[in-house]
Amino acid sequence: MGQGILSVYGGIDLNRYLEYFVNTMKSFNPVHLKNNPVMFITEIAFLVSIYVLIFGKEYGLSTTGNYVPFYVAVLTLLFLTIFFSNLAESIAEGKSRDITKSLREMKKETVGRLIQDGSESMITSSNLRKGMIVEVRENETVPTDGEIIEGRGRFNESSITGESRPVFKVQGDSVTGGTTIIDGKVKIIITANPGETFLDKMIGMVEGATRSKTPNEIALSILLSGLTLSFLIIVTSMFSLEIFLTSQANIIFLIILLICLIPTTIGALLPALGVAAINKVSQFNVIAKSGRAVENAGDIDTIILDKTGTITIGDREAFKFYTNRGLRDEEFFTKCYLSSMYDETKEGISVIKKVKDLNHIVLDEEVKGYEFIPFTSETKFSGVKKGNEFIYKGSPNAIWEIVGFRDNFIDAICAEISSRGGTAMVVTSNTGVEGVIEFNDILKPWIRERIDSLKSMNIKPIMCTGDNELTAKYVAAEAGIDEFVANSKPQDKFRKVEEEKTLQRMVAMVGDGTNDAPALAKADVGFAMNSGTQAAKDAANMIDLDNDPTKLMDVIFLGKQILITRGALTTFSVANDISKYFVIIPAIFYVFPYLSFINILGFTNPLLALTSALIFNTFIIPLLIPLSIRGVKFKPSGVNDLLRRNILIYGMGGIILPFIAIGAIYYILAGVGVAW
Amino acid sequence: MSSSISSQGNFWSNFFVVDRLVSGVIIILLYIAIITILGYILSPYISKIYAGENTWFRKYSDPLITFIERAAGIDRDKRYTFRYYFGSLIFFNFIVGLFCFLFLILQGEFFAAPGQRPMNPFLAFNTVASFLTNTNIQNYSSPARLTYLDITVVIITLMFVSATTGFAASMAFVRGILSDDGKIGNFFHDFLVALFDLILPLSLLATVLLIIFGVPDVTYSSITIHPFFAKYTVNIPVGPIASLEGIKNIGTNGGGFYGANAAYPFENPTWITNLIEEVSFTIIPIGSIFALGRVLGNRKFARMLYGVIFTIFIISALLTFFSEFAGLPSFSMLGINFGGNYIGKETALGLSQSSIFASGATLTSTGAANSALIDYTPAGILGVLFPMLLNDPLGGVGTGVLNIFSYVIFTVFIVSLMVGKLPELMSLKIESKEIKYSTFTLIIHPILIIVPMGIVLLFGPELMKSFINTRPDQITQLLYEFASAVSNNGSAMEGFTVNTPFYNTLIGILVIMGRYPIIAFQLLIAQSFSNKKPKVQYGRGVDIGSFWFGFMLLFTMLLLGLISFFPILSAGPLLAWGKAFSLYMGGLI
Repeated sequence: MGQGILSVYGGIDLNRYLEYFVNTMKSFNPVHLKNNPVMFITEIAFLVSIYVLIFGKEYGLSTTGNYVPFYVAVLTLLFLTIFFSNLAESIAEGKSRDITKSLREMKKETVGRLIQDGSESMITSSNLRKGMIVEVRENETVPTDGEIIEGRGRFNESSITGESRPVFKVQGDSVTGGTTIIDGKVKIIITANPGETFLDKMIGMVEGATRSKTPNEIALSILLSGLTLSFLIIVTSMFSLEIFLTSQANIIFLIILLICLIPTTIGALLPALGVAAINKVSQFNVIAKSGRAVENAGDIDTIILDKTGTITIGDREAFKFYTNRGLRDEEFFTKCYLSSMYDETKEGISVIKKVKDLNHIVLDEEVKGYEFIPFTSETKFSGVKKGNEFIYKGSPNAIWEIVGFRDNFIDAICAEISSRGGTAMVVTSNTGVEGVIEFNDILKPWIRERIDSLKSMNIKPIMCTGDNELTAKYVAAEAGIDEFVANSKPQDKFRKVEEEKTLQRMVAMVGDGTNDAPALAKADVGFAMNSGTQAAKDAANMIDLDNDPTKLMDVIFLGKQILITRGALTTFSVANDISKYFVIIPAIFYVFPYLSFINILGFTNPLLALTSALIFNTFIIPLLIPLSIRGVKFKPSGVNDLLRRNILIYGMGGIILPFIAIGAIYYILAGVGVAW
Repeated sequence: MSSSISSQGNFWSNFFVVDRLVSGVIIILLYIAIITILGYILSPYISKIYAGENTWFRKYSDPLITFIERAAGIDRDKRYTFRYYFGSLIFFNFIVGLFCFLFLILQGEFFAAPGQRPMNPFLAFNTVASFLTNTNIQNYSSPARLTYLDITVVIITLMFVSATTGFAASMAFVRGILSDDGKIGNFFHDFLVALFDLILPLSLLATVLLIIFGVPDVTYSSITIHPFFAKYTVNIPVGPIASLEGIKNIGTNGGGFYGANAAYPFENPTWITNLIEEVSFTIIPIGSIFALGRVLGNRKFARMLYGVIFTIFIISALLTFFSEFAGLPSFSMLGINFGGNYIGKETALGLSQSSIFASGATLTSTGAANSALIDYTPAGILGVLFPMLLNDPLGGVGTGVLNIFSYVIFTVFIVSLMVGKLPELMSLKIESKEIKYSTFTLIIHPILIIVPMGIVLLFGPELMKSFINTRPDQITQLLYEFASAVSNNGSAMEGFTVNTPFYNTLIGILVIMGRYPIIAFQLLIAQSFSNKKPKVQYGRGVDIGSFWFGFMLLFTMLLLGLISFFPILSAGPLLAWGKAFSLYMGGLI
């Protein structure tokens, strides 16, 4: 635990401590605190108590003997309360500054090779504008954000993601400024002006997110301000009560009562909680554009998942070739090779690789003279063409449309492949149906457990896939998903999001293509892949730098955790008041021995009792900083179980713990001889 | 002595006299069972009114409602937003209040009432304000101060208006949850429906029952008796007692014909009338709670609310009963064992029926009493007092629903956070707006009680001359008076002269502040809900009917009550109790 606390405070790093300290002291400025009513009141109380002590005689304060060290202790503790609150905020802010700092470091000025009217010229990245085309060669850095229009290559994105494994990118993929190409050569069309790049936006968002409050935080602050206001009035009425009953009132006692009653614990930690939320998301290598998005993530009802990449391991690979009846395998392999040789999709590349793996050699003269027919989401096939000759590869339905009939033998193979979750692609040529390529889909490890825990939190996953019904059904059943959309086109996702939104549900969806952008924008949580197109990234409110769609589930857990932390600390903070009352009220009314029955801890020294309560109130803040930055632990489970557990821990615990802690502080202080 | 009774083997005398502790608890639980059952029976009827469906009574009431609406030019199909609804409510209440106020201060001029003096404006303001807000604090001496014309025109009118207004507000609130077109209804139509379908028939029924069981309802002003021991004859004022008593209880008003309220035999002659009265002032609040479950389609939620409110009820009733049974330790331990604190209580009803009546009257906003509250022990008065500090959990007619929802929204917010959900109630999102209004509702109550207390205590000697008890008791009495005013309860502990310009004005303002802002905030919440469409749930998010939600709701209510009032309670009843207890300890030593 000790080490844990230390690590939250940033390990042993003197510069960092100094930075925290300076920021903490700066935050004492009342203008800074005015957004935090609880701490604002605390600071006012601190200033008032200084004033009252200086002019103590006028206010009838006893200044004899042991009262003086008591007052000094009270002032110190009041100061520390504000100090710890500011400290929590500056630690959290320090963490978010680390993130923006590392993002800024990536923004180095680089030189790009501008291609204009067929000629090449060198240009610095700050002079690049939208629509310009640059070429990036091996071991060069991508000058700024853009989209690949020609070529392919492997990119090292470790500067963004921290993942050193290079990422293979092809035409249509977007690239981020600051990443380097390890091999290959690409032409890029620039998609962002200086100051609008992905990094610029991210830095802006991380900084902005730390400042603006989410709607839920606003609601909580209203509630806390309301409580603070009523406590202020209650304590003022105590003044009247004391004057009425004993004709004297010690203002310092009342200030202690006020500070102990107002929810200083949650008030002190609330700003830190907000910043910590964004930071924690960042630790997952996800950039959240707003705190609201993270909060929404915690309350998702429906989550729309792509099959590929989320449920199954990203890229499908050619797994097996099935030759049609009466044809030779070698001939079929050549056709497969030809159909995919210009196909830059990952499937196409895997077909070429598979053919090579089978030691099948395709002669150079065989590949000459073909024209490429690219894949579109409408036709659902791609291939090559030479005169009347053609070789196409595509989904079975698309191919049956071309050839005009359904080949029963091939269809049976396709059905079998689908039924075990694979994807079948039929290869056909002008001479007839050639055969089937089986692409295999492998479920991601742990996906079933993750889907189950989503379901246990009453979140409904919906799987969208372009695959046929059979494949979709198989994969969905394997992963434990009840609802899926097969043969889906990009607009189906949007429709699904809209459908759920009209039922007032909170929808999350993952997307990476430009086609996904409307759905991403419509969803409450749009989760875009960094490798996706610029449009998708702009529409989304969260971007995953590692391109791992499963991480949306982590973000959901995180969103819940943030809400739980906030709720738990509020409950704890308010529940603490009960025990503080039972310590402070008997101490204030110590002149009435009749009231001793509410002094359930049996304290005999009222000054020491007041000090102990204030000590607890002050030092609970730094003790809870690690919890608020790290979040409370929670197991995904049914709402009722979670509720019971948290009521018992933070509600009942919030009542009992202070009794024990204040009692312990009192007797320790008394034991070491603090005698006032 | 007790053994001689038991040896005769008379089970009932044993039960009611020797085992009074057991029989008392059983009587209290029986009362609670009876009012629960009767409230539950009424709930389908109320839920039909909430849902805007026709009740079986409508065929009698509809011609009347239609006639009035046609005469007044009200279009019942037109529904309005908060601004117009609440505007109508305030306007109507203001006009009625103004009329009654003028009636009281000018009656000597215009209305030929034999021997009647006009009221002074302060007292008239206090009376009208408190009856208009369903509070019924009676700072005048009743019935000597009022003519039967006053009672009929002012008091009974205001009793009907206040109860019906409250119920209309709750109809708008429920409609706000159910509708999604941004309209919360038509106040005048709601008012007429509530009056003719619910309040009026039930008060007539209650009146008839009370007459049957012996409550007088006459048009002459007094009966003259000549006690055999007395030299002179005595005039006992009587009048339209049963008529007043019907609406007094059904409308959770509580201001009785006699100053002594239901402790006076003509208001409450037997244990049967006691039961009828207890049932009448709880039946609509309980019925409304169960009706909520039906109309909102979540009966588990209604059961949970019932459970929470009745936990508070049982705590309050039993705390009062046990404390009164124990009496003051200083007395009982000094050998004066009188078997409970019977001072100020009707022996025919006993401790149990006095306790359940007192705590039922403060749990709802009735404030009727069948015993003298000033003579309760400090712990006993605490049991009667604390429901008022929670702003009458069961509440008045209609306002009970509004009050409990402010706690529910607050709890939903905290509970949702604790399970990692964004808060929603009945599938409607709770946002900062709703939290703002329900926080206002929750803090305005303690603030309105505590601020005047602080002021009065600070300027104590001047304003507290008329107090006669010791200082802790004075604090209790002040707290009781202000809590009763702000929670629109009207229960009176007395102990000091309240019929002064200062207290009349202050309490008049407090009762108004304790009622209309809260109705406004709750209707604003309804307005905000009515703009929202409900979410179609897969599984339930936070199950607001579950045990743990109920636990948290109770916890929140008690916590908010405790943290708001603990200092004053400890300086008042707790200190008084401690004193009494310490005296006993001293007596032992």
